[in-house]
Amino acid sequence: MQQTAAMELAVSLSAVVKTFGAVRALDGLDLEARTGEVHGFLGPNGSGKTVTIRVLLGMYRHDTGTALLLGGDPWRDAVELHRRVAYVPGDVNLWPSLTGGEVIDLLGRLQGGIDEGRRAELVERFDLDPRKRSRTYSKGNRQKVALVAALASDAELYVLDEPTAGLDPLMEAVFQDCIAELAAEGRTVLLSSHILAEVERLCDRVSIIRRGRTVQTGTLAELRHLTRTSISVETERPVTGLDELSGIHDASELEHRLEFEVDSDHLDAAIAHLGGFGIRALTSHPPTLEELFLRHYGDELADAGVGNDHTRA
Amino acid sequence: MSTLAGTGELLRLVLRLDRVRLPIWIAAILVFIWVSAASVIGLYPDPESIEAYVALVEGNPTLIAVEGPGIGFESPNVGVVLVNETTTWATIALSLMAVFLVVRHTRTEEDAERTELLLARQVGRHALLAASLVVVASAMVLVGALTVALLVALGLPTAGSVAVAAAFVAVGLVATSFAAVAAQVMSSARGALGMGVSFVGVAYVLRAVGDVGNEFVSWMSPIGWAHRIRAFAGEDWWVLALFLASAVVLVAAAVVLSDRRDLGSGIVAQRPGPARAPRWATSPFGLAWRLQRGSVIGWSIGLFVLGLVYGTVGRDVEQLFEDNPDFEQFLAQADGASITDTFYAFTLALGAMMACGFAISSVLRIRSEESAGRVESILATPTSRSVWAGSHLAVTVLGAAVVLAASGAGTGIGLAFSVEDPEQLPRMFGASLGYVPAVLVLAGLTMLLVGKLPRLGMVSWALLAIVLVIGLFGDLFELPQWVRNVSPIEQTPSLPAEAFRPLPFAMLVGTALVGAGVGVVALRRRDIPTT
Repeated sequence: MQQTAAMELAVSLSAVVKTFGAVRALDGLDLEARTGEVHGFLGPNGSGKTVTIRVLLGMYRHDTGTALLLGGDPWRDAVELHRRVAYVPGDVNLWPSLTGGEVIDLLGRLQGGIDEGRRAELVERFDLDPRKRSRTYSKGNRQKVALVAALASDAELYVLDEPTAGLDPLMEAVFQDCIAELAAEGRTVLLSSHILAEVERLCDRVSIIRRGRTVQTGTLAELRHLTRTSISVETERPVTGLDELSGIHDASELEHRLEFEVDSDHLDAAIAHLGGFGIRALTSHPPTLEELFLRHYGDELADAGVGNDHTRA
Repeated sequence: MSTLAGTGELLRLVLRLDRVRLPIWIAAILVFIWVSAASVIGLYPDPESIEAYVALVEGNPTLIAVEGPGIGFESPNVGVVLVNETTTWATIALSLMAVFLVVRHTRTEEDAERTELLLARQVGRHALLAASLVVVASAMVLVGALTVALLVALGLPTAGSVAVAAAFVAVGLVATSFAAVAAQVMSSARGALGMGVSFVGVAYVLRAVGDVGNEFVSWMSPIGWAHRIRAFAGEDWWVLALFLASAVVLVAAAVVLSDRRDLGSGIVAQRPGPARAPRWATSPFGLAWRLQRGSVIGWSIGLFVLGLVYGTVGRDVEQLFEDNPDFEQFLAQADGASITDTFYAFTLALGAMMACGFAISSVLRIRSEESAGRVESILATPTSRSVWAGSHLAVTVLGAAVVLAASGAGTGIGLAFSVEDPEQLPRMFGASLGYVPAVLVLAGLTMLLVGKLPRLGMVSWALLAIVLVIGLFGDLFELPQWVRNVSPIEQTPSLPAEAFRPLPFAMLVGTALVGAGVGVVALRRRDIPTT
């Protein structure tokens, strides 16, 4: 039973701790990506995304907790597991004297061979000049080299650490198409990203981490359920008694128009209460991922002094 | 002068970035000068001992090549001895300091794309170059001033002390200006460093060859000029004008060149490269070889030329030996080797010490691949850490053999032509290859550091400094034998002057293997990248 559960999870981290001296980079992190899903991995800068990925790839050895990559031990079985994994690092650094084409060939063959047709197609789609030396590539072009090398390999799991940083919108669209194709083929993608529209479009499930811990995980619908919905309502009679309800925030009244936010699990009670005042018009906005994000990062921002005053951290 | 806008602010930045490095360089060089001066004054307290020194050096091409030509030996004093013993090495140290610091603040900053961050502000195009040159030149002048104070405090005449210090500073300033040119000509920091270090090497070799053979050659080297200021021997101050003129021309050239190139590029433009990698280059070993190929070739050419130059003075060495049969007894080593063999045992050992530099830089590639963030892409493929590091180490072993073979071949070919004896080629070739195990000991210890204490990888250069100090100054500082035995170069029987004995070689190979093995095991167990 446990065995099958493990097989269905491409990535499974539970209570993983990783310290660097006095710094707890991962502080009991949990992360599960199911086989065949595109899993979004979000968190503010410095929250531990890259450390998590390096633990998964057997570059860092975690202190405690369990980590499984494709059912294997990412540290002990690194070499065997890497046959089945393709990776795009967050900070793409290439050998300055090699051309982009040479780097793609190098990484592809170290991976165990790449599909020549797919390589040519991706170079074309990403509009990459493979004859330029890596030292002359811009950040976006270095990113393209790493993306072509990863996407052209035949892997079960694609680990992508902020893969679209530096890409122009056209290339980002190409990237999203590529990921959608991988998803359609049933491959697993772990996508760390700050581009929320990209995550909303591509990801089946999302994990949000903060300070080395997972703070939310689930489908976007589930996550929305845990947050607030904005309500704007016009009623025949002025609404009273709203502040006696629980889960209501930031209420403001303008003549007959009332605006407030309500925790999603108190939405039903709030709407029922409004019904007693004769609803003329009502609009509701489900929380966007941005709002979700800001809400979970909010403490971080407050700690950094943003929003309280105008000093910079 | 808008191209110099912001120079003052950048001066502070350069000083801030070098607040540890710069004092270490200055202190290390001053300690060297102080130790040399104190030991020379202690060793040569009276005219008799000074005469003995003069007699020793005048008849010995090895000492002339390593130390100096003996300017002022016609009426020697302790100052003259000091100049002969220290000028060559102090000027080399100051020149290397100049090259490393200037390239670090100009070309390296440009490669790291930090320069554009500055240039986008109220900062002129030449400001960073100017700030770097001002800081390094001021450091040189500071070393000079402290040297004068030191020598005068030790009781040496003021005029001579000023002259020798001025010679040191002047060579350093020429190297500083040359490094500024190298930073414009080459399209990467590595290239600029290579060009700058080659300049120092060429200056050393020209002086050594000129002093042993034709003096005209010494006049082509700033280190040769430094000796010819004649400190403590009726100073020829006009020689300083040569330095000044060279420095002015070089700085002007750097400014002109920097106006003719784009940020981040060199004078030589980059051409498009191949769109596909050759099959051989896509294995871990192929990649390691590709990354280190240029370094292996560069070191090999350098040591081949150095060997060739030393080899071609073979006849002069032999002539000295024939003219003065007394020297055989006086200079030859314990088991009765000839002066010629003793001389070449030394130059081959010198080549081997330089080859240690290659070996250390080769192993440190493993660390730089890690800290530059390139290793992740490799280790994320089914390539194990052992295979990755082992590939680089294999290139180190191969490269060390090639570099030493080039050194031996150069020496052998030069000597074979010079003394018209083709037998010298295989002798010198074999003798040079005898240093492979010693060089690999340095490589093994470097791997130990990279694996176990990656942040201290650069300490391996300190190991090379120890080997160099023992090899070059063991006699001068009268180091006891047990201290000298620390150096693997000393452990190697000095072929061809001594006979071949297998045991030391086996022990050196064993040390190298243990060091590298422990290093690789440690590398497999630690986090990568460790920052």
